[in-house]
Order: sequence, then C-alpha cells, then structure tokens
Amino acid sequence: MAPPPPPPELMEEIVGEILLCLPPDEPEHLFRAALVCKPWLRILCDPVFRRRYRVFHGAPPLLGILHKRQVVEGDPPARFASTTSMPEFPHPGSDGRRTRPLDCRHGRVLIHMLEDESVDYLVWDPITGVKHGLPEPDIEWLIYSAAVLCAADGCDHLDCHGGPFRVVFMGTFEYEDNIVASVYSSETGVWSAQVSFDNSCEAFAKHMRDGCAERSWYTPYLLPSRATLIGDEIYFTIRRQHTIVKYDLSRNCLSIINSPPHNVYGIALMVMEDSSLGFACIQDSSLCTWSRKVNSEGGTEWVQFKVIKLESIIPAATSSSEPFVVGSAEGVGIIFISTDDGLFTIKLNSGQVKKVDKPDVYFSVLPYMSFYTPD
Amino acid sequence: MASAGSGDEKAAAAAMITLISSDNEKFEVTEATATLSQTIRHMIEDGCTDGGVPLPNVTSKILARVIEYCKKHATAAAGEEGSSSSFSDAAFLEVDRAFLEELEEFDDAFLEVDRATLFDLILAANYLDIKGLLNLTCQKVADSVKGKTPEQIREMYNIVNDLTPEEEAEIRRETQWAFE
Repeated sequence: MAPPPPPPELMEEIVGEILLCLPPDEPEHLFRAALVCKPWLRILCDPVFRRRYRVFHGAPPLLGILHKRQVVEGDPPARFASTTSMPEFPHPGSDGRRTRPLDCRHGRVLIHMLEDESVDYLVWDPITGVKHGLPEPDIEWLIYSAAVLCAADGCDHLDCHGGPFRVVFMGTFEYEDNIVASVYSSETGVWSAQVSFDNSCEAFAKHMRDGCAERSWYTPYLLPSRATLIGDEIYFTIRRQHTIVKYDLSRNCLSIINSPPHNVYGIALMVMEDSSLGFACIQDSSLCTWSRKVNSEGGTEWVQFKVIKLESIIPAATSSSEPFVVGSAEGVGIIFISTDDGLFTIKLNSGQVKKVDKPDVYFSVLPYMSFYTPD
Repeated sequence: MASAGSGDEKAAAAAMITLISSDNEKFEVTEATATLSQTIRHMIEDGCTDGGVPLPNVTSKILARVIEYCKKHATAAAGEEGSSSSFSDAAFLEVDRAFLEELEEFDDAFLEVDRATLFDLILAANYLDIKGLLNLTCQKVADSVKGKTPEQIREMYNIVNDLTPEEEAEIRRETQWAFE
C-alpha cells in the first residue's frame, strides 16, 4: 500500500499572516512558534512584524496584577501575580523592604518605596527591567493616590517601553480640607506647583457643604484606588459617594463630577469603548455599568450602559457575601470582581469570566498590560 | 455596446467584471463582489478590467470558492450600506444579530476544507488582498497552532527544524516557562 501523501507545506509568504492571528493574551503562543524553525523565528523577531502585530490586536493584553488596599486594611503581600502561563514577575519589594504599588499603566509600574533611603517612588518597567527613581512631592498629605503615564508625543500606547513619563499625585491635605494635585515629569525631573480647589469651584464647595451637613466636620478623603486616564484627563475618587475628581493635565485644574446613583462600597471608574468615562459596581447581584455621555442640551450625564446578571456566571455570586468591583482594565474591556472564591475578571462585551487569583482582601487592582513578544 | 448607451445600460455593464482563473476559466461577477478584493478594486479604478481580469495565481477551483465568499460578504455589506458596495468593520457593527449569526455559520461551513485547499485560499486571499477572507483563513491555521509544542507544530505542517541546537537552547533558556 502506498504511504499517505505528506501534509501540504505552509508557504513562507503566508506564515507572517498566520502568526499575526495568534492571540497576545498568552505570550507562550509566540514564544513556542519562534522555536519551530528559522523562518518563523526571523518573522517573529522582525520589528516590522512586531509593530504590525501590536496594531492588529489594538490593545496590550493583561499580563499580571498588583493590588493596593485602603489604609486600614494594610498593604498586600509583595507579589506580582501573573494572569497568563508566564511565571510571576519579580516584585521590587521582594527583598523584604516595605513597598506599596500605586499604579500600572503604559507598560510601567509605579511603586511607593516606603523603606528605601535613596528613592521615594519607583517607576519600573517589568519587561525591560528599567527603573527610574523620583522624590516625594512637597505636599503634606493625609491620604493619597498616584498614577504613572507615558508622556511621549503622539504615542499610541501600544509599546511605550522607555521614553518620557509623568506621575500624577493626588491627595487630601493633612491640615486643610481640600484636594491637591501635582505632576512629576521625567523630562524636567521636578514636581509641578501644586493645584487645589479654590472658592470658584461651586461643585466642590457644595460637596463640602453636603459633607458638613451630615456631621460636625468633614474631610474629603481621597480613595487610594487606581486612577482612570482618558486623553489629558485623569480621574480619581473621593470616598463620600464616590465623588469623582478630574485633573486636567493640559489645563492644570481640578473639577468635580458626581458619580451615578448607587449605594455600594466597591466601584471602579473605567474607560468605555467610545473613550467616555465609565463607572461600574455590583448591585443586587448584577454588574451595573454607566457611561458619561453628552446630552442633547450639551451637558453631560450618566447613561446606564449594561447590566449583567452575575448569578449564572460567577460561582460565588450567590454565596454569603456579595461580590464587589475592585477595578477595570482599559482597552481590553475587563472588570475585576472580588468574591469569597477569589479574584475574577469579566469581559464586558462577552460576559466571559476567568478566575485570575486566589481570595484576598482586594480594594483596587492594578492591571499590568503590555505586549510580550520574542525579540 | 456603444459607449453612448443610456445611463442604465452603462451602469449595468460597468457593474459586471470577468475574472479569469489560471486554467483559463471565466467567472462573471458583480463589481460589488469583485471589489471586496483591494487588488481588483485598484484595477477597476485604473480602468484595467476591459476584456476580463486574468488571475494567473488562482486556479478555477479556488477562485470559485473565493467568489462564493465574496458574494456572501458583499451582500452583507450592501444590505447595510444601501448603494455603497464597500465592506467595512464599521458597517458590520450595524448588521443585526440574526444576519451576523447567519454569516458566522457561512464562515464556519466555508472553512470545512482540507488543509491544501485552506492554504490555497490563504494564498489567494493574500494575492487578491481580501482582508476578511485572509483573517478568517489565517485565524483557522493560527487556532490549530495555539497550545501546541514546537515539535507538534512542525509535524502538523511538515516543517523542517533548521535551528541549530545552540539557537534552540538559547531561546529555551530565556523563556523556559513557555515550554513547560
């Protein structure tokens, strides 16, 4: 009997097109493909292919998470969990010195080095290993949050390793009931003059009046949760009613946005697909999302976007304690949800759920997103 | 037909294109179907389609399948955009769910071919620059590579390993986790 014909050969001219379709959310696909033969390795390591690959897939995938907690909850263990088959990234606090991760964005991790005499904050690129230290801003803060962002002109943020960056610090003053912000630029190496609310901001004045009406004194505590960046605007949250503070980077000013009506503890701001500001929380066992839209009168208002029943898709959603939202990952449309069973991601467009870490005290998840391809 | 024919006649004539396969078979298709191919679209724009479009790289067997795909997807695009015949992702988003599902079923059935045909379809989609068909067929191959070891991929696609042991060891050493 004649042997079966050999399988048809894969023509080299189309290999690149095929490798382009390998999903970026599991980097092992590309690394395994690189070991098939020389032509495949050459294609995968070609900068033109790598650029095409990033543009084709549009948004960097989620590779891992850090997280941070509220002050009373204490800092989480020094661990940088991988959400793919990759091993965990080394954590800069793994030498035993206390650290507090504050943000992940644009391929970088921002960490408060609590016990390092040479540097106050660290901006670290886990893919390249490059680290930049920066000093503490000259602000007497009571409670704070901070964000790191790429500052390269015209960058599409698909591959911002290296290059200039900014750190936006926002906090509640120690001795004054006000919110303060300052920006560090890696190009100048200094923090900008601080900006806070003045009497001209009626929305903040009203926030303070409403707070004071409930008790004898009121301090606008900034929540230490991850900020959301849309264009030149970055959004933080105050504890009371999850009131949103917007810092406009280009105009260097603060403003107030009320959050949509809700009565739960765990919320997350997010970037919607149309680049509007989004808000997510779990109410009555459903994931509820809103989008901030311009209305017919030219003003802005919250519009309910999607309500997803969790009972059927997250196993612990019906257990004793309600699951709650602990963050979002922009570009990939992911919401993080903490339950008694662990940390889950839910994809907003498909409702697809994945368990990404074990149960812990979660407050704000810092998603690390980057393409990771052979080079 | 005289070039001075009525507007309707001209439109009808202009709307049909003849594609000629490598084995000299002729296929009459509407312009809307043909212009899913960027390569043919450019030829039409340059006025180089009189007397038919020879496609020396595509056999009649493969061309028939390609035209089947383009007809279906051109209908999808036309249904949404009215008079416009271009096919775009933006238009696609507007298509109602039922039609999307039907199209998905069509695509799934379309991919039920042997490997040699699949590769020929990829080559044709690449040559004719039909983005949707290229993505569809390449994704099918990419899905078959996902989760496989380098050895399994080589065996599946009859690929000779020409990496030196040193090169192989270096890649494995740097990213050992990917091979465990």
